[in-house]
Amino acid sequence: MGMSFEKREITTCSSKFVFVLALMAVLGLSRGGSANAGNRVRIQGSTTVNPVVVDAVEVLKASRGLDFSTDTLGGSSGGINAVAQGLVEIGMASREISERDLRKHPDVDFRVTPIAIDAVALVVSAPVWDGGVHALTRDQIRAIFEGKITNWNEVGGADLSIFVYDKEPGRGTREVFEKFAYGSDEPPIPDFAHYAQVGGNEETRSKVQDHDSAISQLSFAWTEGTDKIHALGIRLESGEIVRPDRKAILSNQYPIVRRLNLITDGPPCTNCSVLIDFMKSSEGQDIVKKHGYLPLDSADDGS
Amino acid sequence: MTVPDPLRRETPLYGPFGLFHDPGWGTISFTQFGSIVAASLALGSFVSLIGFLTYLSWPALTQKGVTLITTGVWYYPREKFGALAMIYGTITSASVALILAAPVGILSAIWIAEYAPRWSRLPLKGAVEFLAGVPSIVFGLMGVITLRPVMQEFSGGGDSLMTAALLLAIMILPTLTTLVEDSLQAVPGDLRTQARALGLSREEAIRKVILPGARRGIVAATLLALTRAFGETIAVYLVVGRADNRLPESLLNLQPLIESGQTLTSKLGGSEVPMAYGDPLHMGALASLGLILIVITVFTTFLGQMMMGSPEKGS
Repeated sequence: MGMSFEKREITTCSSKFVFVLALMAVLGLSRGGSANAGNRVRIQGSTTVNPVVVDAVEVLKASRGLDFSTDTLGGSSGGINAVAQGLVEIGMASREISERDLRKHPDVDFRVTPIAIDAVALVVSAPVWDGGVHALTRDQIRAIFEGKITNWNEVGGADLSIFVYDKEPGRGTREVFEKFAYGSDEPPIPDFAHYAQVGGNEETRSKVQDHDSAISQLSFAWTEGTDKIHALGIRLESGEIVRPDRKAILSNQYPIVRRLNLITDGPPCTNCSVLIDFMKSSEGQDIVKKHGYLPLDSADDGS
Repeated sequence: MTVPDPLRRETPLYGPFGLFHDPGWGTISFTQFGSIVAASLALGSFVSLIGFLTYLSWPALTQKGVTLITTGVWYYPREKFGALAMIYGTITSASVALILAAPVGILSAIWIAEYAPRWSRLPLKGAVEFLAGVPSIVFGLMGVITLRPVMQEFSGGGDSLMTAALLLAIMILPTLTTLVEDSLQAVPGDLRTQARALGLSREEAIRKVILPGARRGIVAATLLALTRAFGETIAVYLVVGRADNRLPESLLNLQPLIESGQTLTSKLGGSEVPMAYGDPLHMGALASLGLILIVITVFTTFLGQMMMGSPEKGS
């Protein structure tokens, strides 16, 4: 009796096994083939650029039936790397292509299209602002982000210990900030108490809001419409204080201005061009304005 | 001397490595074939995981070598890849979590197994097991909403290794409780009766008979909880602060506990992986973090096996 059970021999089960293998192979092949079905344009990168692109993509999906996917893995550097590796068609970056990017991807033909103007603001929690800190010099900013100044009363504020939310290395905002703070010098590697790292703009804004004595770097457009955080002015060497407002950004008086870019490897694909052209059109620039960034043509007026 | 198992040993072995028991008819049963395939799938995926991680890590292992684990500065723009601060973060947060969770878990397991009225056992176990099954992101969110503000009183930003440890303690507690309870239940009921018959009080029976009898299970449960704490990613990511390069001046200095830190998992779960595309050294350094995590976990399990000793001891 046991015998008859045992005797359902290997042929049956091996044929089943072969069938399962064949099924897996077929599924695997069809999946591989449809990894990027149709003409979907994949977009990845900066959390600063993302909201603008997401809105534009919605418009193009509705009006022209085009297919896009967007995500913000790894911020600007993630987007630039993904384009360079051919993982996506368009990268979003809140900074320019750097020397390091070129060294890392020598064979990639980066094409950069600016779609908006933005600035990096230094934002503080409301109690810091209320305590009297409204502007800092470049030296003070460096010292704070290096953990050398640890209390707001050292820069004319209330007696509150400073907590630094530093953008992760590789974030577009962080690299633009480093260029301002250190020029071509290498910034020191952060290592001190009372600092934590933050990623995207949402996280940065909400963590500074929740805190009572924090400072961080944040996209200018994200500082508006809330009174729980305040964007500091920067005291120039002449003693003049420049606040990050539209006028100062457009005239380049504010020292940490940047362009928001779409990046492709070589000439953009057909549907990529549709998106890029749309971003530069007046309709696209209206989306830019809606999100608090400055449109491209205003830069021409200003300079 | 072990007595040979007649059901297994009587049949001759054949095939590569003697993998197959010949049932005598020159064929293999479906169950036997299926189980061998399944077992080799499990083993194969483990081996290929290690192989793949090693392959990915190779550029970092060869270029950075031992400095990967002996230095504590991680700053990829300048190709500094020292994982020591993250190893410290992982081990500290998980150990503190275990120190907090183990007494509570073991005591509550004792209560459920030995003291709780019969009718309440099932609902209690059910509740604990339900908690053990709650996805970690839910704990993470609760941590952000409830723990961070409390911890802000003690540490700068509320995000700290201690916050992560508290959250991990809450997360591993149900697993720990239910597994310890299982092993207490597995101690034969006769022993309880006999212990009481010999005049031991309930208290003494638990301490002298039941706990020693369940020792293996308790140690296993504790280690399982510890490895879960080592591997937990998203909840830790949300509350640990992700501050690189934080190492204490001495091992006894507990100050970094209440400051932001970084663990192996919070680094791997963060945004650096997409930043490393196309950079074999950077990707290799990140992959080696995965290897380090596996080594820590395997080492812990091994240590536990040693500590458990032989099962017969204590009888």
